[in-house]
Amino acid sequence: MTDKKIMVHVQNLKKNFGKLEVLKDFSIDIEEGEVVVLLGPSGSGKSTFLRCLNQLEVATAGTIIIDGKDVTNKHTDINKIRENIGMVFQHFNLFPHKTVIENIMLAPVELKLMTKEEARKKGMELLKRVGMDTKADAYPSQLSGGQKQRVAIARALAMNPDIMLFDEPTSALDPEMVGEVLTVMKELARDGMTMVVVTHEIGFAREVADRIVFMDGGYIVEQGSPEEIINHPKEPRTIDFLNKVL
Amino acid sequence: MIQIIETYHSMLIGALGKTLLLTLTSLFFAMIIGMIFALMNVGRSRVFNCIGTVYVDAVRGVPLIVLAYFIYFGMPAGIKAMGVQDFRLSALQAGTIALAMNCGAYMAEIIRAGIQSVDKGQMEASRSLGLSYAKSMRLVVLPQAIRTMIPSIINQFIITLKDTSILSVIGFPELTNMGKNISGNTFKSLETWAIVGIMYMIVIVTLSKVAKRIERSLSRDR
Repeated sequence: MTDKKIMVHVQNLKKNFGKLEVLKDFSIDIEEGEVVVLLGPSGSGKSTFLRCLNQLEVATAGTIIIDGKDVTNKHTDINKIRENIGMVFQHFNLFPHKTVIENIMLAPVELKLMTKEEARKKGMELLKRVGMDTKADAYPSQLSGGQKQRVAIARALAMNPDIMLFDEPTSALDPEMVGEVLTVMKELARDGMTMVVVTHEIGFAREVADRIVFMDGGYIVEQGSPEEIINHPKEPRTIDFLNKVL
Repeated sequence: MIQIIETYHSMLIGALGKTLLLTLTSLFFAMIIGMIFALMNVGRSRVFNCIGTVYVDAVRGVPLIVLAYFIYFGMPAGIKAMGVQDFRLSALQAGTIALAMNCGAYMAEIIRAGIQSVDKGQMEASRSLGLSYAKSMRLVVLPQAIRTMIPSIINQFIITLKDTSILSVIGFPELTNMGKNISGNTFKSLETWAIVGIMYMIVIVTLSKVAKRIERSLSRDR
């Protein structure tokens, strides 16, 4: 465990929205290749933490170091760091005016990381990987929710990120489409991607997570392996939450 | 009526052309002004927000006719007082500035509303991929915003076209001014103003029909 590289180092992170303290004192280290699942009731600060990692929410206080770079430092080029952090959203956020393949090609081409041909080739490979290569020229409005989310994952992967953030990726899906998205995520985890996942899918957490972090009220209540947290939780708040969702 | 048309048709058509020229040049600059102030308004900078708001409020708070007088008579007088001799604005220049400023303020509001109608997640998704704010705005947000803005923009075109008539007060020889001259020469007010009114109507109704068609084709492929 100790010889692995630390990908994400978060220390004493605080985030306030006006007077509301959403993250109160949050510290965590995430290793390369680790899959961390954040569980907790709504309003516990899970999504806010995730959005702080790529500074979609600017941290109020504390330090976030990703792959050796200080994200919270004002002089850091945040766009450069975001290139290495993929994010998947609850509501997919595909670009509706662009086709599936254009969605994927946009950032790599605009940021001059790839030529159009390279980006298209890479995009098609990724679409094949998520089982969406037949829909490359479709528009997002022609896809089902599960299909949209798989495209969104491919879009994030096109940047060759070191870390993938998932913000409730299956919460907006019809139940029968949850499986297809989770399958893609499981494959990613198996391939060694560092992943931070906010989800309510306890089954996924149990199966895929290296570590589960249970949050409530802006703090980490407890963390540990799925076995420890789901089968043998110690804290009363964790037990209470799991009783409600299981 | 026939007699007026026979005598004055080329002048009337010429004046309509002037009206359209004034409309189009003003609209061109209004689009630029509108875009600049809209971007100021939606950005995060407090200073820019403030400048944007002040501009829109100030221009919308002043009647166009006052703005036109201010620019045509007031500004050259002010510049002369500062010691610059021979500063003059033609009626076309002053008219274009006044209309562009006026229309630009409304355009800024239309564009601002259009940008804000785009789901915030679009900007976030684009930023999360490492694209800058400017690139995200240009490649992701604006193309979507423009679709929702088009009907309002065409509507504003029509309003601006009608507002050119106000600029007859600074002597620009557009259609309304021509109407004044003709009715003054012929003493046939009824016929003259009917003709002028119909000319405006033909252009504007055509424009609205085109607008409807664009609107319908946009909502179809959505």
